[in-house]
Amino acid sequence: MLDRRKIEDITLHVAQIMIEELKLEDVTPETFDPEIDLVDEVGIDSMDLATVALVLRDQYAIRIDEDDYPKLTNIRLISEYIDQKLIEKSKAAAG
Amino acid sequence: MDSLKIEPTAPGTAADRTEWKFSEILADPEIRARWEKVRNYFFLRESTYDMTNRCNIRCDGCYYYEGRKQFADENKDPAAWRKLMRAEKVRGITYVVLAGAEPSLVPELCEVCHREMPLGSIASNGLKRIPASVNYKIHISVWGNDQTSLKVRKAPNMLRKQIKNYKDDPRAVFVYTYTRENIDQAHEVAEALSAQECMLTFNVFSAPVGYEGPLRHTAESLGRTRKSMIELLSMYPDHILFSHYNVVAHTHRKSLHDLYACSYPRMNPSTDIGLGRSFRQYRADLTWDRDVACCVPDTDCSDCRHYAAGSAVVTARLFRHASSPETFKAWLDYVDTYLAVWVMGYEKGPNLTRSLVPPPGQALF
Repeated sequence: MLDRRKIEDITLHVAQIMIEELKLEDVTPETFDPEIDLVDEVGIDSMDLATVALVLRDQYAIRIDEDDYPKLTNIRLISEYIDQKLIEKSKAAAG
Repeated sequence: MDSLKIEPTAPGTAADRTEWKFSEILADPEIRARWEKVRNYFFLRESTYDMTNRCNIRCDGCYYYEGRKQFADENKDPAAWRKLMRAEKVRGITYVVLAGAEPSLVPELCEVCHREMPLGSIASNGLKRIPASVNYKIHISVWGNDQTSLKVRKAPNMLRKQIKNYKDDPRAVFVYTYTRENIDQAHEVAEALSAQECMLTFNVFSAPVGYEGPLRHTAESLGRTRKSMIELLSMYPDHILFSHYNVVAHTHRKSLHDLYACSYPRMNPSTDIGLGRSFRQYRADLTWDRDVACCVPDTDCSDCRHYAAGSAVVTARLFRHASSPETFKAWLDYVDTYLAVWVMGYEKGPNLTRSLVPPPGQALF
């Protein structure tokens, strides 16, 4: 079950990271459309996405599979992916 | 002179750690500076173009004259090439590689491409000088000393002619292709080129599909190639664009595809992002076929150690190399080398590591 509020927080944070890492202009975390296609509409390439994935891996202390991040082509998908990884992590920690 | 050894890892030291945050890796100022330098070029998106189906020499083992692309009719119409380049820009392509069979035979088409697409490179045998107005990197293929070139390429005094055409030309990078038969000649070629202040990088012969001739490498010849590369890198650091990680990646017993999973469309069905999405290899008639699209079509992927392939395949694997400072330094050296070889005006920095670092998840050789 997705926790909407948590997802929204993650979405804002991911947008913030995206803006900072890729030096995007004319957009804020609040105005960044989570559904916009990062490849087709923002022009992000695989190296950019890899960079963002590395930063997210750091910030959320989660494991991101190399095969996964190329499929995360909008912020909503990234946020849901992170949320799922955090749930898995907390379940693993609980034993 | 360097020897073939792995840098020891002391137990309990930073090098012994198995998990690194990316931010921790970047905390090293030297790494951070190189990272910031190379990431400025992440916008490069390449495609390649056969310019003509003619060549003024015929080399044993040439990948161009394998497969169907050699039978494509030439499109000699500058307007058609201009239209293609403009369409490529719209598609997001920012870098062109003009290759097959010999682009210097159609300089007017190279000019058209350069006017439309300012960044690129040309693969040439160097026998006919390309006008200075085509301000692309020019990769001049060298396959041994002049005796060997005469035998394999049927062209006399090849290196002498190549140097005459491209000495003092900032566009020129001489590309020495190590075959099984010319390993020992690399020293005299490197000496001759460095004496003329020419820049040199290395390629490793990658057999076309079905080729079983004498140029194909064996484990033994790859080992000798590795030793030769390391020696020359140490002897001519100011004239050789290469790194120790290039040596590892290109002389490994496994091919580039087996080491890194090739990201060109021919071996990569994904169109999500990256080369699988954007790369095309145009034939001389300006058509392309996704099923055969890669930088060296008709090369046997299980034998591919080609420098052009590595430039994309290794470089694209940023994520898996961000695992430790030493591995990331090796990757940065590789990317720094790639940019110096392929991009006009990019200056290579000193290599960050002389360690022989294994590819992620692989044995060293």
